[in-house]
Amino acid sequence: MKKYVIKRVVTAFFTLLAILLILFILMQLMPGSPFNDEKLNADQKAVLYAKYGLDQPIVVQFGRYVLNMLQGDFGVSYKISRNTPISQLIQSRLPISIGIGFAAVTIGAIVGLILGLIAALNKDTILDTLATVISVIGVSVPSYVFALALSYQLGFNLRLFPMLFSKDQVIGSSIMPSIALSMFTMASIARFTRSEMLEVLDSDYMLLAESKGISGGALFFKHALRNALIPIVTVLAPLVVDLMTGSLVVEKIFAIPGVGSLLVNAIQSNDYNVVISLSFIYSAMYIVIMLVVDILYGIIDPRIRLVRVRGTSRK
Amino acid sequence: MKRRVLACLMACAVTLSLAGCGSTAVSGVSEGSQAGDAVASEAGNADAAASTGDAAAADTGSAEASGEDLNVMLETPVESLDPQVATDGTSFEVLAGFTDGLMQMDADGQAVPAIAESYDLSEDGLTYTFHLREDANWSNGEPVTAADFVFGWQRAVDPVVASEYSYMLSDIGQVKNAAEIISGDKDKSELGVTAVDDKTLKVELLAPVSYFTSLMYFPTFYPVNQAFFESCGDTFATSPETTLSNGAFVLDNYEPAATAIHLVKNENYYDTARVKLPGISYQVIQDSQQALMSYQTGELDMTLVNGEQVDQVKDDPAFKAVGAGYLWYVSPNIDAVKELANLNIRLALTHAINRTAIAEDVLKDGSKPTYTAVPMDFAAGPDGSDFSEDQQKFADVCSDDTAKAAEYWAKGLEELGITELSLDMVVDADDAPQKVAQVLKEQWEQTLPGFTVNLVVEPKKQRVQDLQDGNYQLGLTRWGPDYADPMTYLGMWVTDCSNNYGLWTNAEYDSIIAECTTGELATDAEGRWAKLFDAEKIVMDEAVIFPLYTQCNAEMISTNVSGVDFHPVALNRVYKDAVKQ
Repeated sequence: MKKYVIKRVVTAFFTLLAILLILFILMQLMPGSPFNDEKLNADQKAVLYAKYGLDQPIVVQFGRYVLNMLQGDFGVSYKISRNTPISQLIQSRLPISIGIGFAAVTIGAIVGLILGLIAALNKDTILDTLATVISVIGVSVPSYVFALALSYQLGFNLRLFPMLFSKDQVIGSSIMPSIALSMFTMASIARFTRSEMLEVLDSDYMLLAESKGISGGALFFKHALRNALIPIVTVLAPLVVDLMTGSLVVEKIFAIPGVGSLLVNAIQSNDYNVVISLSFIYSAMYIVIMLVVDILYGIIDPRIRLVRVRGTSRK
Repeated sequence: MKRRVLACLMACAVTLSLAGCGSTAVSGVSEGSQAGDAVASEAGNADAAASTGDAAAADTGSAEASGEDLNVMLETPVESLDPQVATDGTSFEVLAGFTDGLMQMDADGQAVPAIAESYDLSEDGLTYTFHLREDANWSNGEPVTAADFVFGWQRAVDPVVASEYSYMLSDIGQVKNAAEIISGDKDKSELGVTAVDDKTLKVELLAPVSYFTSLMYFPTFYPVNQAFFESCGDTFATSPETTLSNGAFVLDNYEPAATAIHLVKNENYYDTARVKLPGISYQVIQDSQQALMSYQTGELDMTLVNGEQVDQVKDDPAFKAVGAGYLWYVSPNIDAVKELANLNIRLALTHAINRTAIAEDVLKDGSKPTYTAVPMDFAAGPDGSDFSEDQQKFADVCSDDTAKAAEYWAKGLEELGITELSLDMVVDADDAPQKVAQVLKEQWEQTLPGFTVNLVVEPKKQRVQDLQDGNYQLGLTRWGPDYADPMTYLGMWVTDCSNNYGLWTNAEYDSIIAECTTGELATDAEGRWAKLFDAEKIVMDEAVIFPLYTQCNAEMISTNVSGVDFHPVALNRVYKDAVKQ
């Protein structure tokens, strides 16, 4: 087990290094530069390139970039917030994005779970069909469509919630973006819960428990739900990461000062350092979450653990 | 059993770890919100102070402020509030809200005194002496001195700062030694600007610049207090604490790349009776639908409207088309494409465009069809008239005339000995330019037999690069004025100018521009103005560019708001006289 964990951690580290390299290459391939505005002539561009070290040979730039990144120095913004250290830019924004993402996961998980259970317990009835339809819509319609629809109906027509994010009423103005973001999670969890639950309900031990005379509530919560939940927890984690992609557009729509809207603006203005830093943070979060999930899988699911143990013991 | 307990523990651990992230996040946000509340309540107090101030003012007969902030939508976040680093319209607007330069813009865009009470100009037009107001102070109580301007201007040309607008001091402003300092050949202390005493600033120029005072409201020329700047370290102008105000408002809430910015009225402003708004609340909204809905629910008093929304709101009394100054034009690559070197082909292309249709049927935002190389409504001459008011003056070489176009086209093809022609046109991957390009293609292909246009859609950064490298055949591009003089456009077509993408060259033209810039005419306003017409005529006669339209922005301005000044140059919106009923 220990060997397996070490192996996974080392792999994760090298994946991060590879991402650093790929990001750098991608930036080089991006058309234009942060400084090819039509107002700038060649001399001014040269001054700007020199100031930010973009006139150095690619190898030097890459070396300095890797060293700085490994030390946690993300550099300064070239364009969207001139000369501001990126750590400062992200500092106040990351908590907002994470807060809304967390709210979205919570809403999505709870509603999804309920929907899934309803569908499973009422298999092949109208309720099941309804729950399935809702989850299909949730999975297939992008979050920004929900965002626009919510904002038009609840924000504009009914005036229930503010249409734009505001620091004076964080909770009220986070409701619509959280719901919009939660739809995909909700739908995925609902479908997953339904199938897991059905599998558990059909299993032999449920039959045994029932024949032993365990009744209603205890049977459902202690035996069925608990067993169905375990795999669901493991899919929840990667879904958290999926939220980040959705947040790019949703943050823009609701004018949320989070990292998603920052990344969109940075990409549009070729702000290399901001794009690289945010992509790197996203990748790192993804890798860490996947790493945790992988390790947890090994611990929770004996089948995986046994395979690994057998695999490593053979060496 | 043991296994199941472990599994449940793990499940809890994951949930908790997520909750852990969440709780820090939530507490972070709530801290933010508390800070926000604190700011808001302070703002509230300031509002109260403002309204009592106004009540006092009301006794002396001035209008009573309603005590409500003006809520304004911004399309993009502020890039920088450092006056020598900022380059975009949004940053300029916010900066000018809390900073005054030597001069300010009046409602018509003319330069009128601000921090400078008056100025003297030497006989030869080379030395300006500005006399600063005694009662102009920074928001920390320090007086605004001539040394603050010297420090600000030196930063603008300092290669270490690498200001993108350094050319406003060198090429445009002709400030002595600016060019040498930018290129690193001289030290910034040698810049031709000196503080004679605390309240007297002397500026030496290399050549007379007729529009020099109108540069003084451009933020690159704003003062910076050296002691304060140095006390901020690297954080200058990144928060209200690291920003000083000497203008109508004070920065109250801001962080880098913020989506919400708040300014409150500056009670210590030298002209405080003039300012009626208790504050301005900016909200960055990048989704146009959200912006319009926020306006309709009353959360915003002013918002931009995009072309597709115009039909929906154009009959609203709050709808207004505001001149944005940009001239959109097609640049033919005269140097590299031999067919475009043929004048008849170029004249055919420019005549075949139906500019009215582009402005009225495609853009619909109030943009005006333009038939001159200098767009309308930004440069007023010595007699106060607009340089390009007469749009018919070049009707013989630039008009929407398909018959003429066909004639020139036939002539051109004959001279070249070809029957058909296919050209590429590079276009920005943005909404409006793509639509315009599509219509241009249709108009050209319909009117000119044998002509095929292939649109090459590129991200704007790439398109700019391609034009600058001369790597294009036809290019759809735009230019916004940097200062209120036709030279901001005509200066582009001289030989070797980096914006002369098509590498057109004409010795007579070059000599006229030189004469108007640094030669004799530089001090003779009327003579210069007349000569600039001649220069523009050459550009049009030779069809160096095909002007299309002068861009307008469609805005909604709530009918209870008045007194906001709109300008196509430098400061797009000024709120010093704004009133919200």
